[in-house]
Amino acid sequence: MSERVRASVRVDGVVQGVGFRPFVYRTATAAGVGGYVRNAGGYIDAAFEGDRDAVEDVIETIRSEAPPLSRVRAVDVSWERPAGVEAFEIRDSGADEAGDGGVSVPPDTGICERCLADVRDPTSRYHGYWATSCVDCGPRYTVVRDVPYDRASTSMDEFQMCPDCRDSYETPSDRRYHAQTVACPACGPELRYETDGGVDTDTPLDSATQALADGEILAVKGTGGTHLVCDATAVATVQRLRQRTGRPTKPFALMVPDVSAVESFAAVGEGERETLTDLRRPITLLEAEGDMPWLAAVAPGLHTVGVMLPYAGLHHLLFDRVEGPLVMTSANRPGEPMVTAATALWETLGEVIDGALLHDREIVARCDDSVVRVVDGAPHFLRRSRGWTPARLPNPPGDDTSPAVLAVGGSRDVTIALADGGGVVLSQHIGGVDGPAGTAFHRETIDRLTDLAGISPALVACDRHPEYITTAEARRHARDGLVGPVQVDHHHAHAAALCGEHEIERAVIVTADGTGYGRDGTIWGGEVLDTRYETADRVGGLAPFSLPGGEKAVRHPARILAGLLDDDDAVDDRLVETGAVETAAEAAVVRRQAETGTNAPATTSAGRYLDAISALLGVCSRRDYQGEPALRLEAHASEGAVRDIELPFTTDDGRRVLDTATLVSRLAALRKRESTADVAATAQDALARGLGTIAADYARDNGITAVGFTGGVAYNEAIYAVLRQTVSDAGIAFVGPERVPPGDGGIAYGQALVATARDAS
Amino acid sequence: LTHGTGGQATRDLVSETLTAGFEDAGDALVGLADFDDGAVLPVGDKKLVVTTDTHVVQPPFFPGGDIGRLAVSGTVNDLAVMGATEVRGLTSGVVVEANYPREKLERIADSMAEACREADAPVVSGDTKVMGNGELDGITINTAGVGVAEHVTPDSDLSPQDVIIVTDTIGEHGIALLAEREGIDFEADLESDVQPVNDLLAAVLEVGGEAVTAMKDPTRTGLAGALNEMARKSEVGIEVTDERVPVTGDVTGAGELLGLDPYQIANEGVAILGVEPTAAEPVLAALRDHPKGENAAAIGKAIDDHHGRVVLDTGIGNRYMREPSKEAVPRIC
Ligand SMILES: [Fe+3]
Ligand SMILES: [Mg+2]
Ligand SMILES: [Zn+2]
Ligand SMILES: [Zn+2]
Repeated sequence: MSERVRASVRVDGVVQGVGFRPFVYRTATAAGVGGYVRNAGGYIDAAFEGDRDAVEDVIETIRSEAPPLSRVRAVDVSWERPAGVEAFEIRDSGADEAGDGGVSVPPDTGICERCLADVRDPTSRYHGYWATSCVDCGPRYTVVRDVPYDRASTSMDEFQMCPDCRDSYETPSDRRYHAQTVACPACGPELRYETDGGVDTDTPLDSATQALADGEILAVKGTGGTHLVCDATAVATVQRLRQRTGRPTKPFALMVPDVSAVESFAAVGEGERETLTDLRRPITLLEAEGDMPWLAAVAPGLHTVGVMLPYAGLHHLLFDRVEGPLVMTSANRPGEPMVTAATALWETLGEVIDGALLHDREIVARCDDSVVRVVDGAPHFLRRSRGWTPARLPNPPGDDTSPAVLAVGGSRDVTIALADGGGVVLSQHIGGVDGPAGTAFHRETIDRLTDLAGISPALVACDRHPEYITTAEARRHARDGLVGPVQVDHHHAHAAALCGEHEIERAVIVTADGTGYGRDGTIWGGEVLDTRYETADRVGGLAPFSLPGGEKAVRHPARILAGLLDDDDAVDDRLVETGAVETAAEAAVVRRQAETGTNAPATTSAGRYLDAISALLGVCSRRDYQGEPALRLEAHASEGAVRDIELPFTTDDGRRVLDTATLVSRLAALRKRESTADVAATAQDALARGLGTIAADYARDNGITAVGFTGGVAYNEAIYAVLRQTVSDAGIAFVGPERVPPGDGGIAYGQALVATARDAS
Repeated sequence: LTHGTGGQATRDLVSETLTAGFEDAGDALVGLADFDDGAVLPVGDKKLVVTTDTHVVQPPFFPGGDIGRLAVSGTVNDLAVMGATEVRGLTSGVVVEANYPREKLERIADSMAEACREADAPVVSGDTKVMGNGELDGITINTAGVGVAEHVTPDSDLSPQDVIIVTDTIGEHGIALLAEREGIDFEADLESDVQPVNDLLAAVLEVGGEAVTAMKDPTRTGLAGALNEMARKSEVGIEVTDERVPVTGDVTGAGELLGLDPYQIANEGVAILGVEPTAAEPVLAALRDHPKGENAAAIGKAIDDHHGRVVLDTGIGNRYMREPSKEAVPRIC
């Protein structure tokens, strides 16, 4: 028999609201070890007493087998004299989720392996049950009405626990001990399948799968929202979905049963495998492989496709009955938020769907699927939403006396952020807010998150764009008593967000995106910013060019060539050829517009430069969704080789800039000799090297140690890799957006940091 | 020069400088601080409407009109949308550059006289000043007018459920002017429809009376600016159905080509009405009986939601109708 010992253990990391104490309890009791475990405000404090081998086993298990939602950063052990304790106890009673000033509501997760095993086990009382969950998994943020997080404050309160479920809920050794969403077929929410003809409550899954097999389009209500679902391999069905939703080319996301099924049509690298199988189940952007004919209808003209694995028990049960893959796209009308309630579903999407697989658990907070893309080896968020909201992000360093801040976000891919000394809570994807439904969702999210996070903002921050709805909303909050609005330049917000996630005070940030309001009233989007939290100096970027027709030029990118290409015939040809205008006379009007500046604002947008190249090469003539021309250009470029081209640098208003007009003319000349793919690759490479060189040279000349890259253009794999390489080759540290979306979904986070820092200074 | 386009920047400039110090409106029922189309002063048991407008337009001659016709129509219409459809008198103050061609001046005077005849509006006082070459760009005309309103129709009196009517197709004036100014050839007959509409609005008031709750002149900031202003001032929302707004194909086409939203384009000779639901049909019938109102349409209604905003039903979803801004800055990525 080995020696009796006592270990005092401190566990740091993400250890609250993730079922850590029950896990420790189960581990210790199973090993016959005495002692206690308790939440100690931010970390776990525990003691284990017993045989040395047993105690060491318990500590090892805590290190290596911690609950899926937790992240153990450090386990510190100190040895003490044994106190003669035999029993093991959980010291603080009540919900495990009680935090210390942090958000006490955890994010949602997909179903865990053990719950899934229960669902598949014919002898389990959870067999075939769509809403099986435990303390490690299931909906959280999307079902919570209020804090503290316990069953009574969730939409599960309508479902009285049956004696078995109550027993699990109250037994510390049970995996469902204090699992607020615990439910079983005897007591929990139920599925139903609705059509024009009626409601099926007996075999809803069978009816739904039959409908899918028949080529019908369904709505499927999941955890945080509703998807439009159909058989992805049936081209005619997918086309019908496009036609009914008025989305001719927007790529649809897929849900596929497992990784090996994914590998039959897309490349899954190490990074992609990790994000695909992450318990939070984001949509992962993958490179298509093997030319499956149906893929072209799912993601027209792109070389990438968004794929996710099943995350709710419901999805797994669906895939027990269909082979998949299934199209799974959010159920919403263009520009409006996703539908969450059954009545609203038939009202707004009755023309789109043939049937609906629904359940009777209320979705309290709509939460779209998160979307990631592994860029240059690291996952980047295209959308940080389900699975991550409302986990906290870092505050600007060295600051905890500032007032709490509400940041209202931008205009596209809107999120909101709340900041106080404890960190920054970035909301789920809200999306467009230019209509009543979007604005209502925006307001609702602010109300809910301030409640759940326990942050009452004293200051409000917004974009500098005078016409954003969110700017008007910020003014409304200011009228209602908040200080502000603090107006933050769009690109400063992007850059500050990148500094914030890396907790660095100053860096040169390349901010390349589509559109942001610049201080000088022009449209920025290809900027090199010497960034601090309080201010950002525009020190370089792209030379300005004209956007004849304003937003029209965004939809018809050939118009941009009228301001970039010094060759009237070529411009007219592209304008007519791409359908931007119908006649040569109309083309002349657009050129005239560029000359006179009539509704032709100036821009330095990298996104518009890529759009223009896309139009020049005939790769995309009309933008039907955000970023389409640039995405299609990237698809072509991925097949091409970079050709030698001299980068034309010049100065504009004291800044070192890449001369866009000269560059585009050189690329147009190159087009006469080289393939479309090669010119596309060269155009991307020139942008990346140009901006990377300007940033790296400025950093070196000014003794700044880090260069970063963010903005929507940072999703482009080739541009990102070349820019990073350019910076690294110059011997300067590079930082990229890994925790916060580089697109406009990260704007609110940056706004919150800037407002906090400005207030402090 | 972003302050002259009539949007938020203009509102800020004016309220910070020119109206500060004039807060005391005396006994005016509608005063300077109301930023309405004109002022309303009580005289005995009558309501005197007064308005003034200084016209600078580039170019002074354009298809469908000139600065003279514009100067008279603008002031007559400002009176009329306040409810004073009968013009008691106009004043005209003309400032010209010394070398301004006499023949052009005569043309302008003629079209002023013609517009006055159309509006049945007497010019009762005038003044002309000549300034040195280069001290002014051609010509500027100020007109002021007075009239009497039985029933005042400010732009702030909409109530939920009031039907919103426009009296004519929108956007022709602004597009015609823009094309002429920028030398853009649209291959279409784009003509300004600048005209006095006091006779048309007299017909409206005759049928609608007190049920006509609000009227407005959607000039510089277009239909979108005017509707948003009405929603803000009346503390209501306004709901508009896209496909019901009358716009000619030529204006739509020119707007498409330039990337301009017809809702944000200036008008002259068009009015927006708010009418109680029961009076909407008779008012529409009266409008369509009149030669200047044959394209009139009910485009939406006031609602007790989305206060201060205009919700546009586009057929595939609802979005807010945007006001024109000082700079045309796209918002989409
Ligand atoms: Fe952006
Ligand atoms: Mg006026
Ligand atoms: Zn589980
Ligand atoms: Zn149960």
